[in-house]
Amino acid sequence: MAVGLLMVAGGAAAGLFGSLLGLGGGILIVPLLTLGFGLDLREAVGVSLVAVIVTSGASAGVYLQRHVANLRLGMTLELFTAVGALIGGLIAFLLSEQVLAGLFAAMLIYVAVAMLRPRADAAAAAGDPPAPEAEPAAPSLGVDLGGPGYTIRRFRLGAVGSVLAGVTSALLGVGGGLVKVPVMHLVMGVPLRTATATSNLMIGVTASASAIIYVLRGEVDPLVAGPTAIGVFLGATLGSRTAHRVDLRILRWLFVVVLLYTAVQMVRRALALA
Amino acid sequence: MTNTPARASAGAASPAAERLDVVIARLLTVGTYASVASLAVGVGLLLAAGRSPLEGGPALDAGRLVGDVVALRPEGFLWLGLIVAIATPSARVAASLVGYLRTGERTMALVSILILAVIAVSVIASAAEG
Repeated sequence: MAVGLLMVAGGAAAGLFGSLLGLGGGILIVPLLTLGFGLDLREAVGVSLVAVIVTSGASAGVYLQRHVANLRLGMTLELFTAVGALIGGLIAFLLSEQVLAGLFAAMLIYVAVAMLRPRADAAAAAGDPPAPEAEPAAPSLGVDLGGPGYTIRRFRLGAVGSVLAGVTSALLGVGGGLVKVPVMHLVMGVPLRTATATSNLMIGVTASASAIIYVLRGEVDPLVAGPTAIGVFLGATLGSRTAHRVDLRILRWLFVVVLLYTAVQMVRRALALA
Repeated sequence: MTNTPARASAGAASPAAERLDVVIARLLTVGTYASVASLAVGVGLLLAAGRSPLEGGPALDAGRLVGDVVALRPEGFLWLGLIVAIATPSARVAASLVGYLRTGERTMALVSILILAVIAVSVIASAAEG
């Protein structure tokens, strides 16, 4: 029973941290399950994918209800993230644990460095799209995917980025927002708030395309996935309601330290597996 | 492939697009909370039985699911919750497909069909390997 409660608590901490810092809980679930509970990396990725689907569902509903997420853009891009997730889900079973652990460590270091960089400029933080590019906006797939106050640019580049996001999600058990949000905001000209909400909406389809592969190949243990998903859901819910009351500066530094420490442990794991 | 309704309803600008947003939002909310409720019952039963999550659970067996739920076994509720969670995004795409067909947005309907096709390929490819 103690292990079950610890798993719920660990999931809640991952969900809370992720929610407060806008990263989702996925990035901490895999290290929690592998380094904390001794699970196989692939099994941890499968569990993490299910947990991020559960966590993103409720918030995606809220974003749509408030018309913050762009359903049309999200659906068009998730066609590409789903293809990437399918590819990534199949590749994951061809790669060694060593390579997967190395890739995960690289992602953790990337996120830690990204968090240390100065925050987006005031315009971006306010939700305004980046300055207009010389390249004119063009309908994507013959459909205007833009929304109030913005049009979509460089759709093809966005589609390629979405495939990459899907592969990343399937290989590492994360929602893929690390790739999708910058692609939509910086490349395609979507306002930051809309990009974040739309990315959240896309997590479900992206993660489910690869979660199916992990489930049907027996890599998802329901006894682990249940407590973890419940914990992450509770933590993320609490985080979304308390984020405005928390001083994120100290939390951000603490998170960077946790990410770097986890990256070192992942590298050690990769080397130990060699 | 351009069609007028799609252009008119960019983002959530048109009433039809806003209605679809609301329908999809409700579906996502209901699916998520149904999944969480089932998972919570499963976790509660697991903890009440004093079992460790690390003892190893059964692989998905659709034939056993109903029996496990009726017998109040944690595995049944946990798998049910996981299936609902994984199926909810596909249900969202299917609902979008119906919405786009109703409003005559052929391109978005085609996008919805292609997404469902990719998910179907995931199932088929994994089932073939398994």
